[in-house]
Amino acid sequence: MREGMKTKQNMLCPGSVMADRKKKAVVEGIAQAVFGVCASFVILVTASITVYMIGKGASAFWKVGVKEILFGTVWKPTAEKPSYGILYMILTSAVGTGLAVLLSVPIGVLTAVFLAEAADKRLAAVVKPAVELLAGIPSVIYGLLGISLLNPLMYRLELALFRDSPGHRFTGGANLLSAALVLAVMILPTVINISEAAIRGVQPGVRAASLALGGSRIQTIFCAVLPAAKSGIVTAVVLGVGRAVGEAMAITLVSGGCVNPPLPFYSVRFLATAIVSEMGYSSGLHRQMLFAIGLALLIFIMAVNTALTKIVKKGAENGG
Amino acid sequence: MERSKISVRNLELSYGAARALKNVSMEIRGCAVTALIGPSGCGKSTFLKCINRMNDFVEGVRIRGSVFLDGEDIYDRRVDTTLLRKKVGMVFQQPNPFPMSIYDNIAYGPRLHGIRGRQELDGIVEEALKGAAIFEETKDRLKKSALGLSGGQQQRLCIARALAVRPEVLLMDEPTSALDPVSTRKVEELIRNLKKKYTVVIVTHNMQQAARVCDDAAFFLAGEMVESGPGDVLFSRPKDRRTRDYVAGRFG
Ligand SMILES: Nc1ncnc2c1ncn2[C@@H]1O[C@H](COP(=O)(O)OP(=O)(O)O)[C@@H](O)[C@H]1O
Ligand SMILES: [Mg+2]
Repeated sequence: MREGMKTKQNMLCPGSVMADRKKKAVVEGIAQAVFGVCASFVILVTASITVYMIGKGASAFWKVGVKEILFGTVWKPTAEKPSYGILYMILTSAVGTGLAVLLSVPIGVLTAVFLAEAADKRLAAVVKPAVELLAGIPSVIYGLLGISLLNPLMYRLELALFRDSPGHRFTGGANLLSAALVLAVMILPTVINISEAAIRGVQPGVRAASLALGGSRIQTIFCAVLPAAKSGIVTAVVLGVGRAVGEAMAITLVSGGCVNPPLPFYSVRFLATAIVSEMGYSSGLHRQMLFAIGLALLIFIMAVNTALTKIVKKGAENGG
Repeated sequence: MERSKISVRNLELSYGAARALKNVSMEIRGCAVTALIGPSGCGKSTFLKCINRMNDFVEGVRIRGSVFLDGEDIYDRRVDTTLLRKKVGMVFQQPNPFPMSIYDNIAYGPRLHGIRGRQELDGIVEEALKGAAIFEETKDRLKKSALGLSGGQQQRLCIARALAVRPEVLLMDEPTSALDPVSTRKVEELIRNLKKKYTVVIVTHNMQQAARVCDDAAFFLAGEMVESGPGDVLFSRPKDRRTRDYVAGRFG
C-alpha cells in the first residue's frame, strides 16, 4: 500500500520524465495490432476474391482451352455443338471503354480546371453540385435515358449514314457508339472529382513561379499546373476505366447485345453484360464460362491498372 | 546623379480595408543590390510584388501611385504584364521548382516566350545554370527531376530559371530563409556576382546578410518606407531614430 503510494507520487512529481513504460507499451501494442488486423482484412478480401475467381474461372479455360476462348470469335454456349469464343466481347469492352475514356477525359479535365481555377465563381457554384448529382445517379437510370433519348437519335444518324448500304444490319440505335457515350457520361463525375482534387493539390508555388516568369493564366494551367497534377489525373483515368469496364446495367440496355466485332454502328456485347444477361439461364459449362469471363474482366482491369501506374512511375523518375 | 532603374512614386496599396503600403516613394539604382529590411508584416513582400505586379492576382487589392521602370510606368493601362515579368524576374522564399526535369525547369520560361529550337534552348539552359553557379552540379543530370536536388540547389535552380528569360531586374523575397548556412553563403556570393548584369532587389530578415550583400538599403516599418540610402550609411549612421532602434535590435 505504502509502496504503491510512493510510486504514484513519484510519477506525479512535476518535471519527471519517468513513466509507467509497461502500460504505454501495452497501449501502443494494442493500437498496432488493431491497425494490423484492419490492414490484413483488406488483403484477405482482395486475395480471396482473386483466388475464388481463378478457381471458378480457370476450370472453363481448362476444359475448353485458353486459345479457343480468348481467340475464338463464335459465342454459341447453348448450341448443340457449343462454341465459347469471347474475343469479340474482349475487344468490345476494350474499344468501348477506350472510346468512353477518350471522350470523357478531355471534358472531365477541362471541367476540373474550371472548377479548381474558377475564373467565374458563381458558375462554379452551380457546376459543382451538378457534378455531385451526376455521380449519385444509379447506372440503370443512365440506361433508361440512353434507351429513350440517345438510341432514337442514334437510329436517325444510322439511317442517314447507311441509307445506301444494303449490307448494313440496322440496330435501332442500340450500338457500340451509344454504349460508349453512356459510359463516357457515367465516368465523367469520377474523372472531374479526382482531377479537381489533383489540380487543387498542386503546390501554390508552381503557379506563382509560372506567372512570375511571364506566363499567362492559361499557359500556367496547361504548362505548369496540369503537368504537376499528372499522377492524380492518371488516377482519375484508372478509376474511370475501372468503372467503365465493370459497368453492365446501363450498357445492357443501350448496346444491342449481339456478339459482334466492335464497330461503331454494330450491336455489341460487353464482357460484363454477357455475365448479367446470361447468368439467369446458364448451367454447366456455360455457367463456368461466365465465371471465366469474370476472370478475364478482372485480369483486364488489373493489367490496365498496372500499366498506367507504371507509366506514371516512369514519368516521375524522369522529371515528372 | 545617374538615373534610377526603378523609381517608385507615392505608392499606396491596400488589401481590402487594410493598408499595407503608405505613400512609399523610393529610387532603386541599376546594376546594384538593394536590400529591403524591416520587421515582419511591415510590407516588404508587398512592396516587392508591386514591382512585377504579382499583387494583381490578389483579390480585393487596390493600388495607387506609380512605379517607373526605365522611365515607363508599369501601372499604365497599356502595360503587358507578360513582358513586364519577363523583364522583372522573381525568386521566392520557398524554393519552388516545377516537378519536371532540371532542363525543363530552366527551359520553361523561354518556351513560354516562344523559343522552341533545341539548340537555342540548350544554349540558354547552360548559360542560365552557369549564371546561377549550379551548372557543374547539374550538367550530368539535366534530365532528372529537379525535386531530387537539395534545398540550396533548388533555390539556385530557381534563380537560374529566372535568369533564363534574360531579365534586367531580379526580385528576391527572403531567398535564403529556408536554407542552411552553407547554401546561404553560396546564394549570397551569387547575388554579389549578379549585380554586374542585373538590378537586384532583395528582402531579407537578416541584418548581417543585408550588410554583406547590399549596396543600398531601405528600412520599412508598418507600411511606410522610413529611410533609404547607401547600405553602410543606413547600418552605421541611420538618420531616423526608428531605423537606429531597429538596426540596434531594439524592436522587431
Ligand atoms: N494576400 C494578402 N491578403 C491580405 N493581406 C495581406 C496579404 N498579403 C499580405 N497581407 C498583409 O499585408 C501586410 C504586409 O505583409 P507583407 O508584405 O507580407 O509583409 P512582410 O513581407 O514585410 O513580412 C501584413 O499585415 C499582411 O498581413
Ligand atoms: Mg514577406
